[in-house]
Amino acid sequence: MEIFHYTFDWSVLWRSPYGGMLVKGIVTTLHLSLLAWVVALTLGMVVGVARVQPLRWVRFAGGAYVQVFRNTPFLVQLFFWYFAAPLLLPKQDQQWLYDNVPDYAYWAGVLALGAYTASRVAEQVRAGLLSIPPDQYRAAYASGMTGFQVYRYVIAPFALRIMLPPLTTEFLTCFKNSALAMTIGVMEVTHTAYYIDSFTWHGLETTSAASAVYLCIALCIIGLMALTEKRVRIVGMMGRGR
Amino acid sequence: MIDIAEVSLWYDRAHKALDRVSETIRRGQTVVICGPSGSGKSSLLRCINGLEAFQEGTIRVDGVSVRDPRTDIHRLRAEIGMVFQHFELYPHMTVMQNITLAPMRVRKKARAEAEQKAMALLERVGIPEKAARYPEELSGGQKQRVAIARALAMEPKIMLFDEPTSALDPEMIKEVLDVMTGLAQEGMTMVVVTHEMGFARTVADRIVFMSEGRVVETGTGRDFFERPQHERTRQFLDRILL
Repeated sequence: MEIFHYTFDWSVLWRSPYGGMLVKGIVTTLHLSLLAWVVALTLGMVVGVARVQPLRWVRFAGGAYVQVFRNTPFLVQLFFWYFAAPLLLPKQDQQWLYDNVPDYAYWAGVLALGAYTASRVAEQVRAGLLSIPPDQYRAAYASGMTGFQVYRYVIAPFALRIMLPPLTTEFLTCFKNSALAMTIGVMEVTHTAYYIDSFTWHGLETTSAASAVYLCIALCIIGLMALTEKRVRIVGMMGRGR
Repeated sequence: MIDIAEVSLWYDRAHKALDRVSETIRRGQTVVICGPSGSGKSSLLRCINGLEAFQEGTIRVDGVSVRDPRTDIHRLRAEIGMVFQHFELYPHMTVMQNITLAPMRVRKKARAEAEQKAMALLERVGIPEKAARYPEELSGGQKQRVAIARALAMEPKIMLFDEPTSALDPEMIKEVLDVMTGLAQEGMTMVVVTHEMGFARTVADRIVFMSEGRVVETGTGRDFFERPQHERTRQFLDRILL
């Protein structure tokens, strides 16, 4: 096939060695963004809960985290974790890092993406918790439950349901932001597409393929989350008018 | 049973919600607190089970000081049932789960025992057939009766009601008041914040009128309505009694 004097060669997507690279890139994108999401969710929950606590310094610490990580560019944060953070370590730890963690770029990517996404997750968690009326907390506490029990049995099951749609969006953003990890040398799918282009001059095919991969995975995630939402729907409350 | 002595509460430096409130409620008494909105009625109620951290004064419930750091506040709250204006049922749980949660988690009762007790309480409030329903499937009056059953499931010594009928349609108010009247007649110690003057007149042993964080006047039902001592009380009664 030829249009605008460009000859398509779709075989760069599967012929050796490019096909293997692409598969590896896809797999890297997947576990990079999943690991980052685990970091983001854990850290984001802690920070989000901290932001609604009665103790002022706890609230302040949570707020400071969110402001710093949400209001600086993700690309800069990525560079920070990769180039700058190791320099803050003592000399011997720095050496240890360079000697023993050959794929430091990957872990810097996980950390950066996780820490950045956590600031956004924290805001969703905070919004979810604040959307529950104060009397609901009081009702639970009034029954004699401890703080942990109140969150475990009453607040979290309800708040998580409220947070599910915005958290889906955050997960998708996290997944797509993983492409930026190529700037510090992580061989995820975007980087792979670019890399294959440098050998074959068939970037049109490879970037199209990368886009298709992102799109397919994102649509799968959306489908999965819609299914989850349906499963955990509260009778008479959510999903009205569907 | 409840000894309130010189209690003051500030929400922030500028806003004093309670101003040296003192009041004694004896075992088996029903006390109605009324007054214009913002007068501190609900705040006072929440001080009794430690949901509000008042800065000055003491409250003793059955001899136990609420704000004493040595007091196990969760244990104290388990002895005090509380009912809220907007019911505050846990939306993700069935009626049965709502009622059995605290008995199982706080009192460590076995499920079978907790459910048996819950059924008996649902019979008592007249809606045993709703046990498997979710809160959003009930009418306002039914929700509030479930909320009362939920509080009673802990076998409390005291019941606190925070405007229990204010969010109800007129035709549902009676069904809730009937349950409350029954409780009062059985000798439950009750503190009720309400604007239901009919209930106050016929059921309350004493009526406390509050304004701007202070107790302006207290009296028996008859004295309060027929011989209000203070100008502020008269104004209030003129406005709410037709």
